[in-house]
Amino acid sequence: MKYLSVILACAVFAAPLAAESMVTAILKSIEDQMKMKTDIKANVTLTQQKAEQGTKLIEMVYFRRDSDDSFLIVMQSPENEKGNGYLRVGENFWMYRKNTRTFQHINRDESIGGSDAKGDDFEQRNLTELYAPALDAGGKEIVSEEMLGKVPVSRLEIKAIVNDVDYPRKIYWVRRDNNLILKEESYALSGTLMQTVYFVKYTVIDGRYVAVKHIYIDEFEKGNKTIVDISNIQTNKLDNSLFTKAYLENLSK
Amino acid sequence: MQMNNYLISISIRNLARQKRRNFFLGLAIAIGMMILVISNAFTNGISDVMFNRIMRWVTGHVTISFNEKGNIRREVCRDRERMISAIMESDGETVSEIDESIGTFAKAIGNGSADNIILVAVDLSKSVDAKKLKETEESFKMVEGSFYDLKRTDIENAAILSEEKARYLNVRKNDVIRLRFRNIYGQDQAARLTVTGIMKNSNIFMQPVVFSEMSNVRHVMGFRPWETGNINVVLKNPKKDAVALADRIHEKLTPGRAIIYGTLAYAGNSTPVAVTGYRSDNESLAKLAGILEPSGNSEIKKDGAFISAKLAKRMGINSGSRVLVNYPNKFEEKSSVFPIKITGTFNGDINDNLIIVNEADFYNAYYDNLPRVSPENTAPAFSLAETHPLSALLATEWILLKRTANTDELKKKYQDMGKQKWKATLVDVRTMYESASDILKLEGVLNIITFSAVLVLFFIILIGVINTLRMTIKERTREIGTIRAIGMQKSDVRAIFILESFFLTLISCLAGIALAFITMRLLSLVHFEMQDNPMGMLLIQNHLHFMPSSGGIVFNLLLILLMAVATAYFPARRAAGLSPANALRHYE
Repeated sequence: MKYLSVILACAVFAAPLAAESMVTAILKSIEDQMKMKTDIKANVTLTQQKAEQGTKLIEMVYFRRDSDDSFLIVMQSPENEKGNGYLRVGENFWMYRKNTRTFQHINRDESIGGSDAKGDDFEQRNLTELYAPALDAGGKEIVSEEMLGKVPVSRLEIKAIVNDVDYPRKIYWVRRDNNLILKEESYALSGTLMQTVYFVKYTVIDGRYVAVKHIYIDEFEKGNKTIVDISNIQTNKLDNSLFTKAYLENLSK
Repeated sequence: MQMNNYLISISIRNLARQKRRNFFLGLAIAIGMMILVISNAFTNGISDVMFNRIMRWVTGHVTISFNEKGNIRREVCRDRERMISAIMESDGETVSEIDESIGTFAKAIGNGSADNIILVAVDLSKSVDAKKLKETEESFKMVEGSFYDLKRTDIENAAILSEEKARYLNVRKNDVIRLRFRNIYGQDQAARLTVTGIMKNSNIFMQPVVFSEMSNVRHVMGFRPWETGNINVVLKNPKKDAVALADRIHEKLTPGRAIIYGTLAYAGNSTPVAVTGYRSDNESLAKLAGILEPSGNSEIKKDGAFISAKLAKRMGINSGSRVLVNYPNKFEEKSSVFPIKITGTFNGDINDNLIIVNEADFYNAYYDNLPRVSPENTAPAFSLAETHPLSALLATEWILLKRTANTDELKKKYQDMGKQKWKATLVDVRTMYESASDILKLEGVLNIITFSAVLVLFFIILIGVINTLRMTIKERTREIGTIRAIGMQKSDVRAIFILESFFLTLISCLAGIALAFITMRLLSLVHFEMQDNPMGMLLIQNHLHFMPSSGGIVFNLLLILLMAVATAYFPARRAAGLSPANALRHYE
């Protein structure tokens, strides 16, 4: 799940779309929305519902400094994760364990706090460098206009142009008036629908639309879903001392 | 010779004179020998199961591992044939088999139930001899279906799983399991497996394993025909050859420079070009700045790309230009395009047709489609002397990790590996001694413990031998006097007593060895149900596995004979030293 890279960055501008490549223009518009110009602090709550395990609530505080692609996640709940943290500075990514007060190097694809979210879900990457319009047999972009409920949307299909992505094919439903993403379907290489995301609530922060609530439906394992809520979003400049190992260690004192 | 035969006859006759005493003494020696043989055969059996029946399948005796971008979960070798050639050239004579190790952790969904599994690829395309067939049948006892049903192509991805897993997933033969896992690129992938067989798992570690045919697993995991995962080498004589072969393979795998030779296209013009990567750690970046002398004040960054100033001038390329490098692929008759955003030019006198790109972007293009040096490429070959300061800063085909001697060193190597952000593929050559040196230690410790215990036992037994000899000498003092009086030499008297102990020990040990074989045969018939116990992995088909070694038995036999002779020597010398007159006067 690409949680925060999509979520926090969905501040929206109504951009006129280029006529020659509608999909590329929409992707560019979404990408522009994703590019954060300021630091961010937000509270993130993941409510994971699993068919065989019941509901699990995961709360964390997320700090992001865009200038050097750093972020810090401090776990708040569940109780066994409280005080643990994840720190990314440049290319280094550490996991901090409060009980042992140790840092361990981890990979980008490591799970965060026992949730389905992974380290790379919190990174910011350019959509147009990862995906391009998918073409039909006739070489035309797969894009159509339809209604999502009562909202007029553009339905566009994109495919990965690099291997380093979670899903090689996606379908977006975006509002025709302002390119807000309302729904996203992600497909595996085998063509199986793996996940559907609904962006159900947006708010305006510093003049931008930010998606603050989305629902991730696991289409592969029916009955599993994750609801992401983002609150207390602040865009003030963050202190450099936040993105240090010492900050996490001091939290456990 | 005649005299020697005479002494032997006397010794054997004397043994027969004291039947009861010698029987009990011999019985004690036989039991000791039996315990020694059984314990050695048992530890050898454990070692055989671990190395030839478990590690042989899991890691082979020598493993060549590939971790792309240093990621422990991304095990991809981009040029399988080259690696196999390197193994065969290292010493193909010692190699019994070369296996591709392909598998992944996955979430499986059966009929209303989900669980984690390990999907493992089995290569059934190779010819199978009778021994291998027997081993396979022993290792995978089928409850339903046949192991060779995995070859079926009339169904989607035939698979075999354990009885327990089938029960948990609520699936039976011909049912479909859906899988979710990460393919070699880290993408979320889904696949469907059709259950063609259910096996009885021999131990707890086999419970999560689901087997499918190699070609199916390769396909769903995203391997192309020329790619593979780790490579496992099975040896004919692993204990003898593993380390030496690994060292030779390691030497063969010294990486060359990674270069893409292609055609640079920009603004309608094109020219042959060589592209390589530069290391992007802070230390390397600082050194590069001094060597490349970038024009203007352009800084060498982690995401940069620098073009030779002469080439840039010739093609009209500036900082910020986006250029395309078209290069032929090594394994397919097609070309790939490597788009590069030039961030600066370099003046250093290195090569006039060169572009140096940050290693992250370079390796992405390089590994995605390995380049071919085509005859039509006219770019001057790019070569640097090893002593050139730039040499150590440029990309190599892969990073070859140093050899290690044991598990502890291997663990440390991987810990260090995790601390650095690698962009290239890390290649490691290791043997079973590194993968499982603890098992070898366990075997050694078990052998020492049993050997020490049996030595204590023999020490006690040999005290009995000394005591028996002393009694015998006392009982036969007059007899010694008689044979000395009629001309037998001291050395012959001594030899009679030593030979008596020697034959008693030899006969007892041979009886002990025979008893050991009978006992091992009987113990092997006992059936153990240990499917939920990790120790079950040491059994074969739920039976104990003994592996007596003739070398070990002969060594132990000689050692015990030597001990017996040494023990008998001193009482025998005392007997031989008796004066004939005094001995004849002896009366009890």
